[in-house]
Amino acid sequence: MEFKKNVWEQASHITDGCMGHEDAFCTAACPMHTDVKKYIAQIGKGDYEGALKTIREKLFLPNTLGRICAHPCETDCRRNTEFGQPLSVAGLKRFAAERADRKELWEDSVGEPTGKRVAVIGAGPAGAQAAIDLRKAGHEVVIYDKLHVVGGMMRVGIPEYRLPREVIDFEYSYLVDLGVEFKMGVEIGKDVTFSQLREDYDSVIVANGAHKGTIPPVPGKDAEGVFNAVDYLKDISLTHKFPKAGKKIAVIGGGDVAMDCARSSWRIGAEEVLLISLEELENLPASQEEIDESQEEDVQFINGWGTDEILKDKAGKVKGLRLKKVLSVFDENGRFAPQFSEETQEVKIDTVVFATGQQVEDITDGQLEQKGGGRYVTDPDTLATNLPDVFAAGDASGGAIVVQAMALGRKAAASADRFLKEKDLAEGRNFKLEYSFETRLDVPLPKGTENLPRTSGNHRSAKERKRDFKAFDLGYTDEQAQKEASRCLQCECKLCMTECLMMNDYGECPQDIFGEFLEKGEIDPIIPYSCNMCGGCTHVCPNDYKIGETFMGMRKDFILHNDGKSPMDGHKAIEVHQKLGFSKIFCTKVKGVK
Amino acid sequence: MGFMPGCSLPSYTPEGVKKTMEYLKQIYPDLGGVQKCCGKGTKALGQEEKFKERFAGLQKDIDDVGIETMIVACQNCYKTIKETSDHTDVESLWTLLPKIGLPEEVRGKAKDSDVVFGIHDSCSTRYEKEIQDGIRWIMSELGYRVEETEHSRENARCCGFGGMIVPANPDLATRVMKRRADDFESDHVVVYCAACRSSMMKVGKKAFHILDLLWGPVVYNEEPAPEDVLSSPAKSWINRYKSKHAVRQVVKA
Ligand SMILES: Cc1cc2nc3c(=O)[nH]c(=O)nc-3n(C[C@H](O)[C@H](O)[C@H](O)COP(=O)(O)OP(=O)(O)OC[C@H]3O[C@@H](n4cnc5c(N)ncnc54)[C@H](O)[C@@H]3O)c2cc1C
Ligand code: SF4
Ligand code: SF4
Ligand code: SF4
Repeated sequence: MEFKKNVWEQASHITDGCMGHEDAFCTAACPMHTDVKKYIAQIGKGDYEGALKTIREKLFLPNTLGRICAHPCETDCRRNTEFGQPLSVAGLKRFAAERADRKELWEDSVGEPTGKRVAVIGAGPAGAQAAIDLRKAGHEVVIYDKLHVVGGMMRVGIPEYRLPREVIDFEYSYLVDLGVEFKMGVEIGKDVTFSQLREDYDSVIVANGAHKGTIPPVPGKDAEGVFNAVDYLKDISLTHKFPKAGKKIAVIGGGDVAMDCARSSWRIGAEEVLLISLEELENLPASQEEIDESQEEDVQFINGWGTDEILKDKAGKVKGLRLKKVLSVFDENGRFAPQFSEETQEVKIDTVVFATGQQVEDITDGQLEQKGGGRYVTDPDTLATNLPDVFAAGDASGGAIVVQAMALGRKAAASADRFLKEKDLAEGRNFKLEYSFETRLDVPLPKGTENLPRTSGNHRSAKERKRDFKAFDLGYTDEQAQKEASRCLQCECKLCMTECLMMNDYGECPQDIFGEFLEKGEIDPIIPYSCNMCGGCTHVCPNDYKIGETFMGMRKDFILHNDGKSPMDGHKAIEVHQKLGFSKIFCTKVKGVK
Repeated sequence: MGFMPGCSLPSYTPEGVKKTMEYLKQIYPDLGGVQKCCGKGTKALGQEEKFKERFAGLQKDIDDVGIETMIVACQNCYKTIKETSDHTDVESLWTLLPKIGLPEEVRGKAKDSDVVFGIHDSCSTRYEKEIQDGIRWIMSELGYRVEETEHSRENARCCGFGGMIVPANPDLATRVMKRRADDFESDHVVVYCAACRSSMMKVGKKAFHILDLLWGPVVYNEEPAPEDVLSSPAKSWINRYKSKHAVRQVVKA
């Protein structure tokens, strides 16, 4: 049956813009698109295993991410944008992992062997995710890492008191289950050349992270006792020590890495820890949690000061810093261009750690092009490099946090898989869904929403925790997790569906109903003929969609194609009824008299 | 000035039609009358051509008896005439009564009633605030107490009768009726559309048309609501016939 143009137009207008299936803010912000809303609801119902399974559909590291994810989802969480109190999305993830994760629940099937072999450089989150996806696609995968331990920066950057190492090892055992092979302690570019690797494998994923610490060109930087954050944290991670450090440690930098260096300093026996940043306290780039936890641990913040000179003693050892007051950090175009006043001050310290950024090292002997920060040049959509068989992922190609590294690993794997199957790298892919995106969801707050405070967790006292490497955060109790889960607003639209009973019989939202109509070019007449024409849907729809009118348009077309009669059997009696309503027996007209 | 009872109201209460017209006649001695369907049902089925034809018939009747402003007591008639006629003005009885006032003898008559009525607003006039205000005004003039709900006024939900779904999808219609009934805490619901009344009666509410309250006896908690006449086609048609005579009788009086 044919429908008129206006029906098609209205149906596609609704289908295109309907927010019924639009992702919640948290899920859209998560580069891996974890179904946050769903697992939080499951935790709320006490279904911890269900929650864990939901998380594992996307993330092989629930407990790890539950502890250290930089959680872009929380930034975008409706409770954050409205009230500044985001759901503890990560904390609840850790809770689900602690309560329910067991190896038996892991989905470890792999695809039919393809006979292709892929080398992955780097056992960080990007390399690991790429390896998982490629194994699942049936390829043989070998991971190379210059370290003897897995996890990458999660292992040698993120401190142990935030992420116990056995958590990483347990979660990474999944890769072994899948049949991923590990060649640990092998450095590409040194032990094996990049060219050799390309010869030995059908494709290569480069995920070597950003492991080159930087030290800015400050006078005195060659003094004994000056270190970069990467080397500092790596040694502390691997040995719980840093013998070259003294007792009075100054960390330069204002980001999360600086906080990690400062807090780690206590744990290797420092007596005084300073944190010196160009930015004022309120503008520090570090997360508020990290700032609070550092301050609880008595790190002394000196904010709004830059390093003028590292002062040395006669032996060439660090003895202090001369600092100059910052006037502004950025120029009028927003570029980093710090300006200083004449004002200076000196601090007495014996060790300086620069947490001022990490760079990507070239391990390809110049075969891959590099840009700012040493990152390899890639096609942002596919992560293809200038070499057809090589794809770059993780920090090495532009990520900055673990969950981004995973999404980029997944992206690179998808491209490598296509390359190996001789398929076009881009065709039919929805790149938007492969990374964080902005949801189109735009709905009023649910009725009666109150500003409820975030449920605080259980941190060990600062005094106790700052001298050991054991986890400082003990995680939620059952009651705390329940309470926190109950704050979730379960963000979605589907407002019309709460008004309309009938549409619930035929789909999850109008996008389903009208989308199916557009796809098939037809619709069961019972659907438009079940509409009450009550306008309830349009009344609550943030887009004011004329759903009833669209059904009415369909009815009109049904009538036209059915000799002017309704296609519904039940309407036969109505026709008679209506005829009577216009018949002389029951009608009258009378002129008024004066 | 003229009055048009519509379809469901005359099928439900010839008495209500008669008393309403008698009161209007006191105020407008030259009151005319038309009884015919406005064609809303035809339109709802999607029968565009047939609707045009039928409305033209109604329009002719209205013109024939020289009515320039039509008073209606049905929200569908109100909307249909308002949207379709290019020269007949339409006024809802529910906005007119507050202007002309209620007869002295009914004012405050229910001040001792122990009933609290939930108000079922018609979804077809969800944005006609004046009509909704009029209903509340009448209730308070009579002396009845009312309860507003989350789904009052523009948030009104369908009674289940709309869109001709009862014959097309009866099971769904019953669910819609039940859902609407659950919007009210009170057992008693006042409506201003006879079809809505029938819907609410079908799912166990004590539903009263506001004309029942205006012209009938004072309602108390213990008493039953009037019978659901519209559920019986025979009774409905007899009533409609009686109403037709009432229209003639009152206009000519
Ligand atoms: C101190 C610090 C704290 C951080 N805290 C957080 C946090 O709390 N939350 C968060 O989400 N993110 C955090 N990050 C960022 C996060 O760790 C990285 O974004 C993420 O680990 C990048 O993953 P990747 O797989 O790209 O690289 P990496 O994790 O860096 O892994 C790269 C791997 O490649 C190996 N490799 C390097 N060169 C070679 C070679 N030539 N041959 C063989 N192997 C090689 C390395 O040994 C390493 O194992 C932090 C980073 C740092 C430095
Ligand atoms: S309130 Fe819940 S569903 Fe909404 S963005 Fe936050 S976590 Fe996601
Ligand atoms: S209210 Fe319904 S139709 Fe409107 S955008 Fe939301 S889901 Fe879609
Ligand atoms: S107008 Fe139709 S589709 Fe919209 S809420 Fe009413 S019955 Fe549902």
